[in-house]
Amino acid sequence: MSDALIRRSLEPTIFRVLTLAFSVFIVAYILIPILVTLVMSFNDATQIRFPIKVWSLKWYGDFFASPQWTEALFNSFTIAIGTALIATTSGVLAAWAFERYDFPLKSLLYVLIMMPLFMPGVVLGLGVAIAFGGVEIAGVDLYGSRGLVMIAHSLWAMPLVFMLMEATFRTIDNRVVEAAQDLGAPPVRTFFEVVIPMVSTGIISSVLFAFVISLNEFVMALFLTDRDTQTLPVLMWLSLRSAGTPRLAVASVILACTVFLCLTLIMLWYIRQLRKVAR
Amino acid sequence: MSDAYTTARARLARRKAAAPWILMLPALIIVLIFFGLPTAYMARMSFNLHEGAKLYTPGFTFDHYINLFSNEVFTTAIWTTVKLSLMASVVTVIIGYAFALLVWLKPARWRLLFVGLALCPLLISEIAIIFGWWMFFPKNGLLSFALMSSGLITDKISLMYTEFAAFVGLVYVTLPFCFFILLSILDGMDKRMLEAGADLGASPLVTFREVLLPLTRTGLLVAFSQSFIWTMGTYATPSALGPDTLWTMGFLIQEQMLGRSNWPLASALSMVLVVGVAVVITFTRSLSAKRTTLHV
Repeated sequence: MSDALIRRSLEPTIFRVLTLAFSVFIVAYILIPILVTLVMSFNDATQIRFPIKVWSLKWYGDFFASPQWTEALFNSFTIAIGTALIATTSGVLAAWAFERYDFPLKSLLYVLIMMPLFMPGVVLGLGVAIAFGGVEIAGVDLYGSRGLVMIAHSLWAMPLVFMLMEATFRTIDNRVVEAAQDLGAPPVRTFFEVVIPMVSTGIISSVLFAFVISLNEFVMALFLTDRDTQTLPVLMWLSLRSAGTPRLAVASVILACTVFLCLTLIMLWYIRQLRKVAR
Repeated sequence: MSDAYTTARARLARRKAAAPWILMLPALIIVLIFFGLPTAYMARMSFNLHEGAKLYTPGFTFDHYINLFSNEVFTTAIWTTVKLSLMASVVTVIIGYAFALLVWLKPARWRLLFVGLALCPLLISEIAIIFGWWMFFPKNGLLSFALMSSGLITDKISLMYTEFAAFVGLVYVTLPFCFFILLSILDGMDKRMLEAGADLGASPLVTFREVLLPLTRTGLLVAFSQSFIWTMGTYATPSALGPDTLWTMGFLIQEQMLGRSNWPLASALSMVLVVGVAVVITFTRSLSAKRTTLHV
């Protein structure tokens, strides 16, 4: 009986120790690569080597002085903005169609729209590359163009927007939409003047998520870009294969900072909307 | 008059029937032209011939598929990919489950912090994560330095380009997917069930085995298949952190496509990968569908 008593009193202690140990492990596991990169970006040396002896902003200066790297950053931003526009427009419209209308083959079309999201990037990149490899439109090679990368990235971004907006549209008050139509507003006007303002948080989130997905993606981009249009992650991948320098850490930090800026924007917008409702 | 009315009504009805298709048009164009067409093209390409230095020669042959399942390089790669994905998914699900349980059981003030932490691997580019581990594992990396300065080892060590490094990277990339799936399942459950278990005299372990595990089985299955699909398709992390001999299917697709310019073989490899992913999805869907019908 005393045995059972000891076990009873010991169990919570063991449990607490295990919980603490696991918490430390998971925090360390997730933060290690992030902190290593952040620290390394302020290194002064040419080689990646711990401990860091001299700290400086040398590699940040080097990054912005190199036309190859700034151009890659510019390409990344252009492609990400394009993806955000394409994915959000098509995703929002399709989600609205699914929410408001009934039509044949609905569940099949749902699967079709969601399917690219489950496909590995390697496969999507390869497929688009071989199908549009030699296609020219108005004398411009489609292959290697930024537009093709935007659409390829939309294959992942659009289903996500679609999923997010489908859930968002479900939360709106249908009576408001019906009221607008009863007052004689045509569907298009109802959509733009009544529905869109109601789901602005969902749309802003969609735009920024699509932007982030495109900004970070590099397997499809690797298959679809050439030297002039390569994105920052592609350039990072290619130079990691030859030799890693702290410049790569700087590039990582810039990418991550952009992503966290987007996240902050979503949060700020969300808080603004909440305040509006509260008022 | 009534005639005009009927035509107007008919026009309205027709417009109403056309509206969803017009709304879906951009999405359908993207999916059909840039996903459906390439997939069909890829399927056709995998039967083309490959001769000499040309990308492909039109023709019809099963050679590439036969090659895939008889040549040792490819069978090893397929086996390696499946093995690595299976192991990585099991570990990811275990860590993700423990992490989700931790967040679920902890007081709410910790929640935001942990969820933010779990979002990090999801929001940071895979290439940045690879590079982070790439600086952690080698001889002059942080791990070796930390162990040296703490006196645990006397000689510098390198875990870079080992299967362990590839494994750590893979689990890192897939962990957030697992975590969020499992957390959402746990959130739908009543915490008081655990108390009920404890009140009835069950130890935490017994409560876990008898109450928690059966209720989250479907979630675990979905999380497992999600990670499996994800790890099957990821090639950058294992190929950058793992040994040179660690050839996964993704790596071979890229190698055949960009390195050897053998389009038919790369396509055949992709088709095998796609079929593998599709099988896993269908399998999980059928299993989880059965579970939900049982519960409802």
